[in-house]
Amino acid sequence: MTDVQENGYIGKSVQRVDAYDKATGKARFIEDYQSQFKDLLHVKILRSPHPHAKIVNIDSSIAEKLPGVATVVKGTDPDLPWEYIPYANNYYGNPAKDEVIWAGQAVVAVAASSIEIAEQALELIKVEYEVLPYVIDQEAAVGPDAIPVVDPKLGLSAGYQGPHPDGPNVLGSYKLKKGDLDAAFAEADVIVEQKYSNDKKSTAAVECNGVIVEYKSDGITVYTNCCGIHGVVKEKLVNMFPNLSGSQLRVVQPFQGGSFGNRLFPLIEPLAVVIALRTKRNVSHILTRKEMFTSSPSNWPCVTTLKLGAKKDGTIIAEEFKITENTGASINNYYDGRLSGSGLVCVYDVPNVFGDGYAVSTNTVPCAPYRGLGCPESEWAMENLLDVLAEKLGMSPVELRLKNFIKRGHENAYGEKLTSTSVAACLTAVADAIKLDEPCEQEPGPWRKGKGIAVGGKQNTPLGRAEADVLVHSDGSIELLVSVDEQGMGAQTTLMQMVATEFEIPYESVKVTRADTAVTPFDNFAASSRTTYTTGNAVRIACQDAIRQLKEAAGRKLGVAAMQVTIKQGKAFILGSNVEEIAVADLFEPFSFFTDQNWGLQKGTPVRGRGVFCPAPAVPWFGPGHEDGRTPRMWNWYQFSACAVEIAVNVETGQIKLLKIASAADTGNPINPKLVEGQIEGGVIMALGFSVMDGHVYQDGVMANPGYNDYRVPTVLETPLQSNIIPIISPDALPDGPYGAKGMAESITIPVGPAIASAVYQAAGVRPTVMPMTAERILELINAKEAKND
Amino acid sequence: MINPSAGAINIDFHVNGKSYSMQVEPFKTILEVLRDDLGLTGAKKGCDDGNCGACTVIMDGKAVKACSLLIGQARGKKITTIEGLEDENGLHPLQKAFIDRFAIQCGFCTPGMIMTAKAILDANPNATEEDIREGMHGNICRCTGYVKIVEAVEAARDQMNR
Repeated sequence: MTDVQENGYIGKSVQRVDAYDKATGKARFIEDYQSQFKDLLHVKILRSPHPHAKIVNIDSSIAEKLPGVATVVKGTDPDLPWEYIPYANNYYGNPAKDEVIWAGQAVVAVAASSIEIAEQALELIKVEYEVLPYVIDQEAAVGPDAIPVVDPKLGLSAGYQGPHPDGPNVLGSYKLKKGDLDAAFAEADVIVEQKYSNDKKSTAAVECNGVIVEYKSDGITVYTNCCGIHGVVKEKLVNMFPNLSGSQLRVVQPFQGGSFGNRLFPLIEPLAVVIALRTKRNVSHILTRKEMFTSSPSNWPCVTTLKLGAKKDGTIIAEEFKITENTGASINNYYDGRLSGSGLVCVYDVPNVFGDGYAVSTNTVPCAPYRGLGCPESEWAMENLLDVLAEKLGMSPVELRLKNFIKRGHENAYGEKLTSTSVAACLTAVADAIKLDEPCEQEPGPWRKGKGIAVGGKQNTPLGRAEADVLVHSDGSIELLVSVDEQGMGAQTTLMQMVATEFEIPYESVKVTRADTAVTPFDNFAASSRTTYTTGNAVRIACQDAIRQLKEAAGRKLGVAAMQVTIKQGKAFILGSNVEEIAVADLFEPFSFFTDQNWGLQKGTPVRGRGVFCPAPAVPWFGPGHEDGRTPRMWNWYQFSACAVEIAVNVETGQIKLLKIASAADTGNPINPKLVEGQIEGGVIMALGFSVMDGHVYQDGVMANPGYNDYRVPTVLETPLQSNIIPIISPDALPDGPYGAKGMAESITIPVGPAIASAVYQAAGVRPTVMPMTAERILELINAKEAKND
Repeated sequence: MINPSAGAINIDFHVNGKSYSMQVEPFKTILEVLRDDLGLTGAKKGCDDGNCGACTVIMDGKAVKACSLLIGQARGKKITTIEGLEDENGLHPLQKAFIDRFAIQCGFCTPGMIMTAKAILDANPNATEEDIREGMHGNICRCTGYVKIVEAVEAARDQMNR
């Protein structure tokens, strides 16, 4: 019996299916598709230099006459589908209509026969602005007297709840109530409270966002590295362009160079479609690196004030928080503090909770999810304050967390039951790996070493259904059709492993086809770490559907009931004998003109197994009947992680150096452990960046560091040596996950910042409250502490 | 494919062992000529200012950022791109190691990473982890955290020294 027969491919680190293409330069990303189109128009955008202004006049008459310019698009043009844009009228990459609300917003678009001509045309356009007051700071944006992000005379900034009493920029609010908070705080032996915040950050994937629209008289094909070819791109474009029917719109996804949340919604696609329909030509629009920072979504930073009350033995009995999400210039959406706030109630079992959530817009680039959906931002507060609490209680930070984390089968503050968690195993594993209890070996000089630990948790949001088709060809080979966003995480590979396991065939006999709405079935998008769980379940169901059809065919052929047949290793066996068998390939009849036609399986026509998986729906958290904000069975499952670090702080410059990091992921059963390791290592280094280095800097309302030059993401030199990065996989099977698997790529980023902050406190005696912990900020804390001591 | 204009200059250079003699507009970068005129799209554009390293190719033995060099600077030079590494004997040890060691995720930075690594190992076959880190800090990866990339370069180094 081979290994494959015994265990299948689950838990095996098979090679990535796409690695050869990527290692040889054969993998084609969006910009690589340009060369296949002749007569391609290139789009360039004139962008607002002002964070807030009224557009008084645009004169593009000279630019329009420049030879090579095909068209100029302004926000007031009648073919821009404003009324069909469901979120914000300023969220998408279309030119603004009458008002710009962040520096970097599109004002005029030019499509020309070359990039150079398009750029030249931009210089010939004159825009007259009436500059308006702006607000960048999110705390200044709250309140009835705040400067409005959108001029009340021109538009309205309002969330799904409509105009808010807390001012013109507050999009929504959300309250969560559980237990008796006042009584609990009165009963508490120790109370701690602190305000925490973080800067805006960009995912900064190395590939820029791009789209190519191919125009044909019978419809258009959109090539894009946006996520969700069906659920996002096609669905939204069909809504926006009523003259474009579903059959006339095909969406194809090339290889994707990362996303991390940035590409979850159409940004530049609608404009490219407008230009293609208007000019009847092929259109390409690739953003520049600068535009990726100023004009594609950032995260939403949070300001969190957190208060915890605990008994002497460390039991946390009361939690009160106020969290405000800064959504940037996203002015109309389901933001109200709920998403980030979830991070404050998903790890620890606190019986009495009051949560007060808000979202507020500012005149900065609009937001979108960024790996973790606001939880790295909110749990920055929770994990830091736990460190303070542990110190006050005289407990170890590990002990305090072990005492309070939500155990399997218990409910969180929303009333949701936890079905899978390995928080305890993660915590102890990283504490051991970093030898948390042993003091650091200090060296002479300005560098002081310290160690720290933290935990992170993240909910999985039910985001619609996934479908999968499995084609069993008449030679027995298998093709998997899924619309999964392969952003780099290896989802295609793990889904192929599931197919090979279901059919008990070599992994190499499975082929996966990339996302193309004309070929691959519906999936929503790769968000909230949902692919392994949601699409994985759909793939298993599709395999079982194909196997059922093969069993029926074999039963007919062998004269037995389908239920007596087993399909494995490319053969159909009669149950109980394992002797009588027929090759799957022989179930397919050859075709001939001269014999009776066959109504069963025929060579050349694959068996198509169809799988549909629908996660439990989201429960509304607003409206009548939801006054306490509690939402049993809102999320499907939770992922956790723990992280422990050893760092050095230069007490003369404030610089932080990461020396050693151990990160443990609560994964469910891992399908491909090496791919999981890759997510852990990549996740912690991405988090190292936003914890100590990278964040938006604003000067006069304009982002001052829109490039890799000044927006510093970690290079290999900022990472510890290989032997000092320790990934740990700590599985706890998810009951309804495929083979017990669940997603894990988001939670891994959450505890890195707080673990570093805890280590900074041990090393230098200061407690950071603002992330990223830049050298300037740490030095300021050190200087303030020394001034106090003097 | 080439559209000679009044301002075009003549460039003779070698790419992946083939000689080219071309009329090119002088404002074009080496990256643009490789991608748009020669169809070699393995080198990528991730920024415009030489910070991300996705466009790295090897020119006369040195890793260079093709987005930041004008085509005139390639005159008479020998350029190797990612497409030039696999030959009749199969994959280059670096390509093999990147695949085997899971050093690839989204793959956008991979061609540049491999070309930088090749220049490092060609110049110093015994490059240490420190040497590799020093040599590769001009190539950004947002997916892998660099751990398996450095591991792959070390594995390829050991393979090449065998």
